[in-house]
Amino acid sequence: MDRRELIQWLVATAGLPSLAFGRQVHRRPLRRSLSAHVERTLAVATERILPGAAEANVEAFIDKMLADWHTPEERAHFLAGLPELDRRCRARAARDFADCPEADQVAVLTALDDEVSAAGTNDHWFARLKYLTVYGYCTSEAGMRALRLYPLPWRYDGCAPV
Amino acid sequence: MTADFDAIVVGSGMTGGWAAKELTELGLRTLVLEAGRPIVPEQDYTEHKPPWEVPFRGLGDRRGVAARQSVQSHSASFDELSHVFWTDDADNPYSTPSDRPFYWFRARQVGGKSIIWARQVYRWSDLDFEANLRDGIAVDWPIRYADIAPWYDHVERFIGVSGQAEGLAHLPDGPFLPPMALNCVEQHVRQRIADKFGRTRVLTIGRVANLTAPHHGRAPCHYCGPCHRGCITRSYFSSVNATLPAAQATGRLTLRPFSIVRSLVYDAGKNRVTGVRMIDANSRVEREYSARLIFLCASALESARILLNSGLANSSGQVGRNIMDHIKWGGASGQFDGWTDRRTIGERPNGIYVPRFRNVSSRHPDFLRGYGFQGGADRAGWHAALRSPGIGPALKQRLTQLGPWSMSFAGFGEMLPREENRATLHPTLVDAWGIPSLHIECRWGENELAIHRDMNVAAAELLEAAGAKHSEPNTGGPSTPGGTNHEMGTARMGRDPKTSVLNGWNQSWDVPNLFVTDGAAMTSSGCQNPSLTYMALTARACHYAVEQLQRREL
Repeated sequence: MDRRELIQWLVATAGLPSLAFGRQVHRRPLRRSLSAHVERTLAVATERILPGAAEANVEAFIDKMLADWHTPEERAHFLAGLPELDRRCRARAARDFADCPEADQVAVLTALDDEVSAAGTNDHWFARLKYLTVYGYCTSEAGMRALRLYPLPWRYDGCAPV
Repeated sequence: MTADFDAIVVGSGMTGGWAAKELTELGLRTLVLEAGRPIVPEQDYTEHKPPWEVPFRGLGDRRGVAARQSVQSHSASFDELSHVFWTDDADNPYSTPSDRPFYWFRARQVGGKSIIWARQVYRWSDLDFEANLRDGIAVDWPIRYADIAPWYDHVERFIGVSGQAEGLAHLPDGPFLPPMALNCVEQHVRQRIADKFGRTRVLTIGRVANLTAPHHGRAPCHYCGPCHRGCITRSYFSSVNATLPAAQATGRLTLRPFSIVRSLVYDAGKNRVTGVRMIDANSRVEREYSARLIFLCASALESARILLNSGLANSSGQVGRNIMDHIKWGGASGQFDGWTDRRTIGERPNGIYVPRFRNVSSRHPDFLRGYGFQGGADRAGWHAALRSPGIGPALKQRLTQLGPWSMSFAGFGEMLPREENRATLHPTLVDAWGIPSLHIECRWGENELAIHRDMNVAAAELLEAAGAKHSEPNTGGPSTPGGTNHEMGTARMGRDPKTSVLNGWNQSWDVPNLFVTDGAAMTSSGCQNPSLTYMALTARACHYAVEQLQRREL
């Protein structure tokens, strides 16, 4: 079945309102659990960890997860760890993380990533930040389009060229 | 007094939908009572909702699940969107011994579990129907393959089954729609297994109730993936998508949602059930409906619960006993070099199947019966990068890279019927409507555990034959009983009223106008996914019951 036929079926059997496939307008939901400073720190950090994260609004996803998904202990652990970014940037460049030169931001994040990767621990606050950044990006509209996961192909090919 | 209806069907899922269709098409004014809410596909199906429109992007409402669905969430098809198709555990409690957990998955809405089933459909053969007699286990099935074969045809022609005919005597073919495609690695594995094992072990594409061609006004599958959230094109079989609309078209169907059946009404003078007592789930008002014929299609444990709460049809003492499920989580997976320039596109709602090969033509020293493998091959995508080192452009690049091809075999093993695996009425525990609930005692026996161990052995042999690298056995131990969602056996069919609840027509030995056609009727469990057999038994029982009604035998 090609896409045109599929749409005909969908219209015939379903009606168009369920076909909300259009490009989503970016709506920034109200902040739930983050201070303005933390949100700004996260917006910059997620973009440095994964370029494109800012356009994909990943910090809003992290806010939602911290507010409504993680336990109070997990949230407190994460928010207690995050100021480490400011501390390390102030030591390098005498500024908070979000106001540091990009090179310093990358250096700080790279050092943390090396430390956490070497330790192999998933419960470090930075491991959580990175996981949420990657997951939030890969499930965002911008991320799924970039990864060619969206729109859906409407067919199965079990041996397609990469 | 004339009855309100000719027939009442309790439940609107896999078998209730079939009873509704067959009975109405045979001319009976039929009331279907469904405990849950109505389903409007245009509003309730969510398979096309993209992740970014889902609050937790598919990670699930962790707090809601902990509070209300801690049992249901263990089902393979439970997720952040499909959770609405599973019951609320707080409203629907049950108990087990603390050292014997049992997952009782329930789906209360019009359509029942037919909305969230895995859609795999495999016929049984006389290897299965003769098994209890051959092994001296429990009681003999009162039917053989020849009795049910025309009803398998009847059901498969209506629901639409895509699959590959293989000519195996112990997994009979049906009138299949074109098979879904094996991917390149699965084709390779099929060939290598054939080279090594001939026809004794066969890898085939799953036989699945997803359409690959237009069928009775329903569209073919478009490979979007999450069938368990519904299907707006009606491309897979569910009672909402197919049988209930057919029943509706006769003009003889009355479907009443929010109708929780407490018990059956019995006339001892006539030895007939004359109706059902139900509670409106919203208003909590109780009322009765009367009919000449009652079909219980409420799912194996719910139908047993209704019988136990009614104190009926249990002169054998077998109601609630012989709970069976399929044991799973044995198997292995392995990686394949090569095909690095190939990938899959689209989400095939189906995998491979390796039909049972143990105790088919030779005798295994460690266990009776056997198991089949489901599984498939694919390449890992971005999920593999969630914990990988690196940040920045290098990490982003990594997200687009596909991992090596990996192939898995996951066994589904037969469970023997044992009387001590049973559900009884709980002395004090009731559901939110005051109806006594069940206490369930069920555990795997030695035969199931031996089957589970052998799954790892045979899966490794298949992967070795196929040339896999890094073959890894599953080490998680067996699944929890009930966890495969194939619970059955709690009102078994048999040849003797002293040892079985139902005769060879799914008819109560004790009360002739009472039929039970869901999984409760099963005398043994086979290792095949059971819904097809439930549906065929239901259609067959409906035709028998209507003939008996017409002859005034009921």
